[in-house]
Amino acid sequence: MNSGIDLQQSVIEILSNLGLPPGVAKLVWLPLPMVLMLVTAVLGVFTGVWLERKISAAAQQRIGPEYIGPLGILAPAADGLKLLFKEDITPGNADAVLFTIGPALVVIPVFLSYLVVPFGQNMLISDLSIGVFLWIALSSIAPIGLLMSGYASNNKYSLLGGLRAAAQSISYEIPLALAVLAVVMMSNSLSTIDIVNQQSGYGILGWNVWRQPVGLLLFWIAALAECERLPFDLPEAEEEIVAGYQTEYSGMKFALFYIGSYVNLVLSALFVAILYFGGWGFPVPLEQVASLLGVSETNAVFQVVMAAIGIVTTLLKAYFFIFLAILLRWTVPRVRIDQLLDLGWKFLLPVGLANLLLTAGLKLTFPFAFGG
Amino acid sequence: MNLAEGVQTISFALLALMMIGAALGVVLLDNIVYSAFLLGGVFISISGLYLLLNADFVSAAQILIYVGAVNVLILFAIMLVNKREDFSPVPRRWIRKGGAALVSVGLFALLGTMVVQTPWVIPANLPATTSTLIILGEHFFSDYLLPFELASVLLLMALVGAVVLARREYVLDDEASVGEMPQLPLQLPERPKEPVALSGTSAPSR
Amino acid sequence: MLKFLNKIGDYAKETLQSARYIGQGLSVTFDHMQRRPITVQYPYEKLIPSERFRGRIHFEFDKCISCEVCVRVCPINLPVVDWEFNKELKKKQLRHYSIDFGVCIFCANCVEYCPTNCLSVTEEYELSTYDRHELNFDNVAMGRLPYKVTDDPMVTPIREFAYLPAGTLSGHDLPASAQRAGDRPEDVAKTLKTSSPEQSED
Ligand code: SF4
Ligand code: SF4
Repeated sequence: MNSGIDLQQSVIEILSNLGLPPGVAKLVWLPLPMVLMLVTAVLGVFTGVWLERKISAAAQQRIGPEYIGPLGILAPAADGLKLLFKEDITPGNADAVLFTIGPALVVIPVFLSYLVVPFGQNMLISDLSIGVFLWIALSSIAPIGLLMSGYASNNKYSLLGGLRAAAQSISYEIPLALAVLAVVMMSNSLSTIDIVNQQSGYGILGWNVWRQPVGLLLFWIAALAECERLPFDLPEAEEEIVAGYQTEYSGMKFALFYIGSYVNLVLSALFVAILYFGGWGFPVPLEQVASLLGVSETNAVFQVVMAAIGIVTTLLKAYFFIFLAILLRWTVPRVRIDQLLDLGWKFLLPVGLANLLLTAGLKLTFPFAFGG
Repeated sequence: MNLAEGVQTISFALLALMMIGAALGVVLLDNIVYSAFLLGGVFISISGLYLLLNADFVSAAQILIYVGAVNVLILFAIMLVNKREDFSPVPRRWIRKGGAALVSVGLFALLGTMVVQTPWVIPANLPATTSTLIILGEHFFSDYLLPFELASVLLLMALVGAVVLARREYVLDDEASVGEMPQLPLQLPERPKEPVALSGTSAPSR
Repeated sequence: MLKFLNKIGDYAKETLQSARYIGQGLSVTFDHMQRRPITVQYPYEKLIPSERFRGRIHFEFDKCISCEVCVRVCPINLPVVDWEFNKELKKKQLRHYSIDFGVCIFCANCVEYCPTNCLSVTEEYELSTYDRHELNFDNVAMGRLPYKVTDDPMVTPIREFAYLPAGTLSGHDLPASAQRAGDRPEDVAKTLKTSSPEQSED
């Protein structure tokens, strides 16, 4: 496996060539990927919101945003601007400190999880050896934020909403982790890079979907529940109850919840792409094709093209799943809270365990196909 | 001191401050909800310290288990029963306080001797650990097998206990269904469950 | 044990079935995505109201004989007919006439029963104001004719359902030659004229 282009090395080299000492060059490099990732995440949110509006409109035979920028592309920006200018209300007798920390606690872990999302061999902030586990661990902080904002709102419905949201979030973390565990078992590593590399080489045939169809379903259902997307959006349930733990929030604090939910959706879709759909891998094994055509792997143009293709492929796969989530939103009715918990504990959990067992068995029997 | 070491020192100082401050808050604050939230802060700072010690898996597990599970559980318990009442002064409170102080001092002394006695010198030829995960796994299944299995048995017991508590009570008399239809496995008639929690307590204050 | 396995099998079957239903639902939603939007982009496009549209009431001051029939037939006695008896002419003389369109239900009963046809319904439906009392139209306001949608250069008129050819649901992109379903009103009137003598004979 060639390592593709190494942005860090080249940027630091360029900076050193400009006459900066290597330490300073490294210091200059440090914030760059983080800022890039933040921008990517925010852009992802904008695209997600825009897609949500457009696809929802299309599913209901409407047009959706049309005049705010070409095709209404600026509608999310207008949303953000509106929320920015709104009054930031803290309800009377509310716990102002917790009320402020709550949304931040929900949002920050989600953004932090972008640390391990790879867009290419070297296109991620850090290839941690705990990779996906970091994501799972970080997403378990969110319930605390939900409880905090529910508690601090000085509103019993908010408190109940927060409790419900937290219950949903922690009970769907387990099937999610089980599904991820099965994938991890096959790739023998928690690192996202290794997981993708384990799927590469055979193009579309090597992807984990074929080996983990049940796991994919589990993962997707649990991820939808984690993101509070529609079949499971009862913490918010805009038509039935007031927005649960978000009831008292307005202005930028509400925007944090809003952004957080969309970043989470994009993140989950990215993880589906990485864990089950070969990450940045193209459906056709491009490396083999290139070597057949006689293009060397160290060719600079080839590497740049490959990196671009990798990013685009990852995003396309992720956005396909976002599309699916939005389509599901207008297809499936919302479940009740007891049905939700039933599904989580009595269906997904046993199925997840069975899937894990099956994967372990298959791994022992067919080590060549299931990553022995 | 290069960049990495500087960052490490500063992060260590910050994390230690955070941890001690939060821990003091947990103990000293009157509002029990604040204490619970600060406990989460303590756990997160500890996981940060683990990260500084190159134990990335342990730190993530710390967040997942302590923050994501234990602390949430504590918060749930507090928020479901939170009654915002003042604590009534207990007679002979000093006995309890004295006991607590004794235990704390003893624990501190133990830990202190441990700190003093441990050789903190880092062997120079320490091999670079690539994946802590693999080393952890090897330890779990060789020299730490017994504690590991004991912990799992403990968890299993907790699980069974939770199932027993959460399970509805079933009516288990055979006479009722004799001659009628044979009872299906896993489908026992349920006894209606009376609301236990509501008896005797006044309405929650919030 | 077998029963237990059977149960698991049933459960799996039900799960598969519900998965199939979700799939069917998804295909329906997906199919809807490919259809043309039926929305009218309102301020830029407007529907041409059909002939039988009951909009804001139009009033012709000079025709009114102050008979107050409109008040009697109105479900809520809404029209305000302010007249005084002119002794010289020995006739009621109308001073003001008004209908509050914030209250009117646009049933057009008044139009139906007015003996002098001084009331008529228009196609105007854009009655939003900042104050509900502005909807209380007096005879001057009611005497105004609405601006025709087809004459407005800023607006793309879209044919309403009543004007569409049979089988068409959307008025977008229709050729001008596309005839509406059924007869045109003139033709209906013609056939009525020719057939009415026979009917009266019956
Ligand atoms: S029914 Fe017609 S003529 Fe009679 S008062 Fe009303 S508007 Fe005037
Ligand atoms: S349209 Fe109906 S409600 Fe309105 S004024 Fe005429 S009779 Fe009354």
